[in-house]
This record gives sequence, C-alpha cells and structure tokens, in this order.
Amino acid sequence: MSLYERLGGEPAFQSAVDEFYRRMLTDERVSRFFDDVDMEGQIAKQKAFLTYVTGGPAEYTGKDMRAAHAELNERGLSDEHVDVVIEHLGAVLLSMGAAPDDVGEVAALAESVRADVLGR
Amino acid sequence: MSPGQIEVEGQRIELEQGETVLQGLERAGLDVASGCRAGTCTKCLLQAQDAPPPASQRGLRPTLTAQNFFLACQARPTGLLRLRGSRGPEPVRARVASIDHLTEDVARLRLTPDERFDYRPGQYLDVLHPGGESRSYSIASLPSDGWLELHVRRIPGGQVSGWLHELAVDAELAVRGPFGQCFHVADDDQRKLLLVGAGTGLAPLVGIARDALEQGHRGPIDLVHGGLEPNRLYLRDDLDRLARESPQLRVHHCVLRGATAREHEGPLDQVAIRLAGALAGARAFLCGDGEIVHLLRRSLFLAGLPSGEILADPFLPSKPALA
Ligand SMILES: Cc1cc2nc3c(=O)[nH]c(=O)nc-3n(C[C@H](O)[C@H](O)[C@H](O)COP(=O)(O)OP(=O)(O)OC[C@H]3O[C@@H](n4cnc5c(N)ncnc54)[C@H](O)[C@@H]3O)c2cc1C
Ligand code: FES
Repeated sequence: MSLYERLGGEPAFQSAVDEFYRRMLTDERVSRFFDDVDMEGQIAKQKAFLTYVTGGPAEYTGKDMRAAHAELNERGLSDEHVDVVIEHLGAVLLSMGAAPDDVGEVAALAESVRADVLGR
Repeated sequence: MSPGQIEVEGQRIELEQGETVLQGLERAGLDVASGCRAGTCTKCLLQAQDAPPPASQRGLRPTLTAQNFFLACQARPTGLLRLRGSRGPEPVRARVASIDHLTEDVARLRLTPDERFDYRPGQYLDVLHPGGESRSYSIASLPSDGWLELHVRRIPGGQVSGWLHELAVDAELAVRGPFGQCFHVADDDQRKLLLVGAGTGLAPLVGIARDALEQGHRGPIDLVHGGLEPNRLYLRDDLDRLARESPQLRVHHCVLRGATAREHEGPLDQVAIRLAGALAGARAFLCGDGEIVHLLRRSLFLAGLPSGEILADPFLPSKPALA
C-alpha cells in the first residue's frame, strides 16, 4: 500500500494540502513564490505534488515540472527554497501520522525532481 | 450490477462491464481530456443532465456537485446518464422592467426575460452589447421574483456599463447564462455562512443570502458589505430591513474611511474576520473587485477556513487596465 493510501487517500490530502499551502504562504522565505492570484490553481498543483510524492494517483513528468517552474526560476527560485518546501512537506506528513522513515522516502523522491524544478 | 449507458449529443453508448464513462467515451472515439485516471487531477470533469454516481463526485466542490459535475474516470453509472453538450447557453432576449440609480455610479436594473431563464441566485450572466462585446453581471434576484436583477457600477469610459446606465424602461437587450460557481448549496442548514463583498460585489451576495433564507437555512448568516466611504454603500436600508425580518441574518456595513456609528471602519478582510468569529464549519462567499476578492480569500484561508469552503467570484475586467 502506498503512503498516500496509508495516510487516508484523497479526503486526508484535501485538508493536508491546505495546511501545506498555509505554511508556504506564511513562511517569508518562500511566500513570494506562492502568493499567486490564482489560489485555487496553486492549491490544485500542490495537491498533485503531494499526491505524487506519496505514491498516489498523480502523473508528473520532468517536462511538466520544468514548464511549471520556468517563471519561478526567473524570479530567483533556488536550492534553499526547495529545501524549505521539503522541510514543510515533512512536517505536514508527520502531522498526518506518517512515520519518520516514510518522510525520509518522500524527501528522497522530492529530491529527485529538484533538478527539474530548478531547470538544471 | 449491469453496466449503464451514456448519451452524448444524441449518441448512445452502451458501457461494458466495469467500464467508466471516460473509457466508454474513448472507446466510442470521442476526444475527452484526462490525466491521472484516479480521481485526483479533475481533468476529466464533465457535466451531466442527470445525477451522476456519487463516487464520481467525491472531493468536488459542493457547487459543482449541485450542478451534476462529475469525474468521468470515476463514474460507473448503472442507468442512463445523459451528458451536457459542450455548447454553452443560447442568448435570451430580455426587456428592462425598471432602472434605478441608487448612488452616483451604481444602477439597479431589473430585466424580464422573454423565455425561461434558469439560474441560481449569485450566478452571473453575460450581457451582449449590440456592438458585439459582452460583459458579465451577477444576478441579485431569486427566480421567484420574476425578473433578473443586476447591480451595475458605471466604469469611467466603460463601454457596456455606460450603455446599461443609459437604458430606459422597455429597452431590449440580450443576455446569456447562467455561469459561475458562487451560489448557496443547502448541504448543511446549520452552517455559518459568511458573505463578504465590496461595491457591486453585493449583488451576488444579496441573491445568495435571500436564497439561503428561502431554502430554510437556520445557521448564522453574516453579510459584510464594504465600500470606500459611507455614501458608497447602496441598498443599505433594504439590507437592514431584510436583517430585521430574518433573525439568523446579520448585516454589517464597512468602510475604509469616514465611518459613522452605523459602519465599521477598517480593511474589509480584517473587519469580516473579526465579525465572523469562529470559522470552523463555515462557508464563505466572496465577490467583487478582483484584488479585494484575492485579499479576502487569502486572509480567510490563513485564518483557517478550508480552501474548499471558499467560493469566490472576482469581477475581473474583460481587458487589462491601461497602464
Ligand atoms: C464574474 C463577473 C461578475 C461580474 N459582476 C458584476 C456586477 O455584478 N456588477 C458590476 O458592476 N460589474 C460586474 N462585473 C464587471 C463587468 O463584467 C465589467 O467588467 C464592467 O462593467 C466594466 O465593463 P465596461 O464595458 O463598462 O468597461 P470596459 O469598456 O471593459 O473597460 C473600460 C476601462 O475601464 C477598465 N476597467 C474595467 N473594469 C474596471 C473596474 N472594475 N475597475 C476599474 N477599472 C476597470 C478597463 O480596463 C478599461 O480600461 C463582473 C465581472 C465578472 C468577470
Ligand atoms: S483523469 Fe484525473 S480525475 Fe479523472
């Protein structure tokens, strides 16, 4: 069973993504990248991301990732911002009841998209 | 359980055992958007004329559910499911029944449509200007009123709002709709409803508040109307009267400057959050100018309201403001 399913699937992630996005909006290290007029669109993207990194039903290709972040790269998105996102991701998963080992696995998966996110 | 059928633009498709609507449409050679095929990405969202299987509506916003939207990849209907075609609504002719200039720049128009025009209060319609342009206006009335009520703010140099302000009683125009996801869904009659809007953002909120009351909503309804100064707050006597007649409705007037004893003063989002109190289980409706709606949405979300309970209609201009 994937971590996604173990944590309660879609209903659990619906509120988890709110929590994740609130953290992004209030962490001044990264908030400027997330404070988009299209909040609903932002939340949908975060939900797809959380679903993907926990092994749930979401598709992500390196190409999508690059395209989605091209504009943010121009605005200065860098390694330390990705670190902050991974930090919050771990905290949210722990609050949902994930084990530290699970969080480590998710962080490793999130690491694997770092190059695409940063357009390297 | 035997598999069902789908009907789309006159064509019947028999589903095979275990097949989803998405698979059925694809097998019939129709072009349907899809992504995850697992109910998360919502790319396969379709609308039906009949109620779709509940499993295909899980996780969707209540307003989408109420309009029979569903996820094709999750739908295994047992009976006949008729899909809505991709064509939008046809224009309907309407006549100006009355026009009242409520403040120096806001007019209330009541239109009587020539044909049946179904909508939910709070949704919007497009007014078609004879020159070919169209603009959206929210509907403040209830279907039982018999007319379509719009509140139109005159924008300096505005093509359609200026034209609407000059219309006389009995003038004819064409409208098309309804559109939009900002309306009351009676899924919990005890829920706290928070309705916040600035300027003519009041139009959909009046419709939503009256609709909720008419549908027997029993939980508290807080309607907060914001404006720059007290003289910009239109319809306040009507709103105050509605509040006196309905104990569960509280109406608050809010201005940025020059408040008297009858108004709250301060940024609309902060005033609204203070007045609303506890947000657990609440649903918010936010309407009006795009920037204000964004601010309200952000503030209420950070104050703890789930994103799925924030229904918003930003009144975006049809073309970007000239820099
Ligand atoms: C979903 C939706 C619902 C709406 N509901 C209502 C409603 O209930 N009542 C209502 O009055 N309006 C509403 N609007 C706005 C309305 O659709 C028009 O955009 C508005 O009336 C201006 O149209 P116009 O043809 O007069 O001006 P245009 O000719 O389109 O614009 C003239 C100039 O004014 C600028 N401009 C346009 N809008 C604004 C603005 N709001 N503030 C400042 N400058 C502006 C334009 O950029 C342009 O430079 C709604 C919009 C949307 C998208
Ligand atoms: S294809 Fe993603 S929800 Fe149906």
